[in-house]
Amino acid sequence: MEFFERFAIPHPSPAIYASMVAIAVVSIAIVVGLTYFKKWGYLWREWLTTVDHKRLGIMYIIAAILMLFRGGADAIMMRAQLSAPENKLLDAQHYNEIFTTHGVVMILFMAMPFIIGFMNFVVPLQIGARDVAFPRLNALSFWLFFAGAMLFNISFVVGGSPDAGWTSYFPLADNEFSTSVGTNYYMIAIQIAGLGTLATGINFLTTILKMRAPGMTLMKMPMFTWSALITNVIIVFAFPVLTVALAMGTLDRLFGTHFFASTNGGMDMLWANLFWVWGHPEVYILILPAFGIYSEVISTFARRNLYGYKSMVASMVIISLLSFVVWVHHFFTMGQGAFVNSIFSITTMAIAVPTGVKIFNWLLTLYKGKIVMTTPMLYSMLFIPLFTLGGVTGVMLGMSAADYQYHNTMFLVAHFHMVIIPGVVFAMLAALYYYWPKMFGFMLNDRLGKIGAWIIAIGTLVAFMPMFISGLDGQARRMYTYSEASGFGIWNMISMVGALMLAAGFALIVYNIYYSFRHAPRDIGSDPWDARTLEWATHTPIPEYNFATMPKIDTYETFWDSKKKGTTLFPDKIEKIHMPNNSGIPFIMGIIFFLWGFSFVFAMWIPLIICTLGIFACMAYQSFENDHGRYISIEEIEETEKELGGKR
Amino acid sequence: MMKELFPMKQVMGFIFSLVLTAVALMVYFFDMSFAIGMTILLVTAFIQAGLQLVLFMHAGESEDKNAIYITIYYGVLIAIFTILGSLLTMVWTYQFQ
Amino acid sequence: MKIDHSLPLEYSTDENRLKILGFWIFLGAEVMLFATLFASYFILSGGTGDGPSGAEIFEITPVLIETLVLLTSSFTIGLMVHAMRLGRQKAMMGFFIATIVLGAIFLGVEIYEFVHYVHVGAGLQTSAFSAILLTTLGTHGAHVTFGLFWGICILIQVKKYGLTPRTTNKSFIFSLYWHFLDVVWIFIFSFVYLKGMM
Repeated sequence: MEFFERFAIPHPSPAIYASMVAIAVVSIAIVVGLTYFKKWGYLWREWLTTVDHKRLGIMYIIAAILMLFRGGADAIMMRAQLSAPENKLLDAQHYNEIFTTHGVVMILFMAMPFIIGFMNFVVPLQIGARDVAFPRLNALSFWLFFAGAMLFNISFVVGGSPDAGWTSYFPLADNEFSTSVGTNYYMIAIQIAGLGTLATGINFLTTILKMRAPGMTLMKMPMFTWSALITNVIIVFAFPVLTVALAMGTLDRLFGTHFFASTNGGMDMLWANLFWVWGHPEVYILILPAFGIYSEVISTFARRNLYGYKSMVASMVIISLLSFVVWVHHFFTMGQGAFVNSIFSITTMAIAVPTGVKIFNWLLTLYKGKIVMTTPMLYSMLFIPLFTLGGVTGVMLGMSAADYQYHNTMFLVAHFHMVIIPGVVFAMLAALYYYWPKMFGFMLNDRLGKIGAWIIAIGTLVAFMPMFISGLDGQARRMYTYSEASGFGIWNMISMVGALMLAAGFALIVYNIYYSFRHAPRDIGSDPWDARTLEWATHTPIPEYNFATMPKIDTYETFWDSKKKGTTLFPDKIEKIHMPNNSGIPFIMGIIFFLWGFSFVFAMWIPLIICTLGIFACMAYQSFENDHGRYISIEEIEETEKELGGKR
Repeated sequence: MMKELFPMKQVMGFIFSLVLTAVALMVYFFDMSFAIGMTILLVTAFIQAGLQLVLFMHAGESEDKNAIYITIYYGVLIAIFTILGSLLTMVWTYQFQ
Repeated sequence: MKIDHSLPLEYSTDENRLKILGFWIFLGAEVMLFATLFASYFILSGGTGDGPSGAEIFEITPVLIETLVLLTSSFTIGLMVHAMRLGRQKAMMGFFIATIVLGAIFLGVEIYEFVHYVHVGAGLQTSAFSAILLTTLGTHGAHVTFGLFWGICILIQVKKYGLTPRTTNKSFIFSLYWHFLDVVWIFIFSFVYLKGMM
């Protein structure tokens, strides 16, 4: 029994016990349900072994939405605790665990999969390809993400949650101050998920560079695909830094090394340096695809070409380069002095310029456009003022001398939420509404969608604007309580109201999904928005092979032109199509990685070695495998096309 | 038969690499200032790396050579920024020893 | 699968060209991996605590052997690709085996080096300097080790299937990996050992 003691929670609470029960019940319910409805075969064949980018995209998005609710629950608990001075809802330890998981979950297990999910679903379609360059690697990326997310998520019921913040600074994150396995979970779960993301970067770069339809030069690509290209460049060069940092953190905690220790020549602030070398490009990884979505949505619903294509591309290229030279602004106060701070202050302000260019381009796209206010468009319109607000506070923070006042106060917290939520979350919600009909064959209710958008937007303002004030007044970040005398109470109470509004807004989205699933008409056709780019030139539901024949591209908006001018988009004859086979290896490797990670977290060396051998065995199997895929015959293609509504 | 297995380009490249290694070794065998030593090391290392890239790895031989060169330049550029920026921040100007 | 006979076999199909480009991009990521290790090394190399510094523990002889062995193995893997393009399977496999043997010798010397360092008081847990030294060298060494196993798997496939688009593609990609490891070693040789012994 002593062996099992290591899995106990160091700081339990009724809520944690209730969660353990809930997790067990739900897991059993899922297993029972699948068995009762005899769906194991279906699940294995259609989802667990799929290598289809469209399916993988949907799986990423489902996972992201589930994680949104986990992170959101964390947020509500934090806001509730802070809503009154000297509140007793959460003690300091639990508060620390909750803000840590909130940050990690929202950034790495909600925003990243949301973005990567849309990249998966949309990019191959937008460039007229049948799938990504490496479909099985793509599946592996998903299952590695899933394994990492699952590992991180069980921490709070098995062994203890990490509690050193999403940034996990040393020496706090070292064994002396973080005694539970929580920070091990942090180091290892994020490492696993990070490997998946790196593979995605390589996959999508190769795909976009080499698999575009004939005639689609780089400068004729849709803007979302451009944003995906640049994002994946950043991923490829940023994630290895995180890999090394997490490995060094793991070595410090589990193997007694002194990279980040305060003794034996270690340098604890090196962690912060390496973390942010990755961390700053990471926020651009989050925002650039969001900008890509806005470009698509705004141009579709302004019924106009995107203004300033070349400057949009140039601005993203510049952002990608600059994103690697601003990282020190995350720790101006750490002791490197005014000279270095000034350099990074300048680079930080420089990086605001290309973003500004993009905002102006979107505004100019709207000017003289014929605006159709749908839910995705509403999110885009709400994004522009709210993101600008958050963005300018970023410039304030970027002034290193002034930052000594703002750093690690609620002002900072307000800034990054006011850029991430209107920037990334609104884009993901807009994309969800925009691409939903292509994914599932019906539209989400527009009225409910718009009400939800307004509630979320106003809720964002109500929740985060007071934080600017309380931050300037002196409320520190990551503090589980404050005194009555400080005067922060009123601002935090207002924030609580905002948080509840946000919760209501997201609940409305869930209701919308349910309501639309039940009542929305299914005969909406394959291009319900009258859109401009190639992904809308497919049937709904999209056949496995995407396009029966390759489209021929002349301009930036060949699909739009083919609709308005009647030109032929698909001139070729149907030939048999080569498709990759499904594979169980990515899923199996995901499971082994999960077990590997779990063994590592608890320093169970024998299982760890066995799992390591298992991973290499899977790789060797893959190497020797002789799978050449399969062909879809011409007859099958013609039949599918006829069923779905004729060759387009 | 044997001659065609040892193309001149590869052989010359190998010999040149050995020469560059020997030049770098002078830093160990002879006394010199830090600045000169570092310069020799930087020059020989980057030349040898470039040699491997172009000559041995055939970086420029396919239709993707632009993508490949840009990847390498970008990677090296960012690597240099990261190393120099980190050194600047954590070692050369750090005020609290 | 459409085969373009005007190109070398390893480039001859769409899938092959995708894999080669994808691998170059992976090498770009590896540049950043090793750059991070180097950045950490330069920052922590003064952090010797109670333990020895580089100048005190580095020995030129094993380092020289490692460098020459790895450089030669890079030469032989290049000859492997050349023989492969000439269609000479036996010669190609010969150079491949030579590369793997040289790689194994490299690893052997490196293991001796590590044992020596631990002996003279620079173990993984001694100081920040020893930790980053062993981690940097160890990461490179782990890459070499993985390469040896990977190389053997490919060799088995070449023996079984001969020189096909698939096996030549794998062999070429392996050569890219192997050359890259030598490039990293050039920087380790220069900026870890030589700089440390200046």
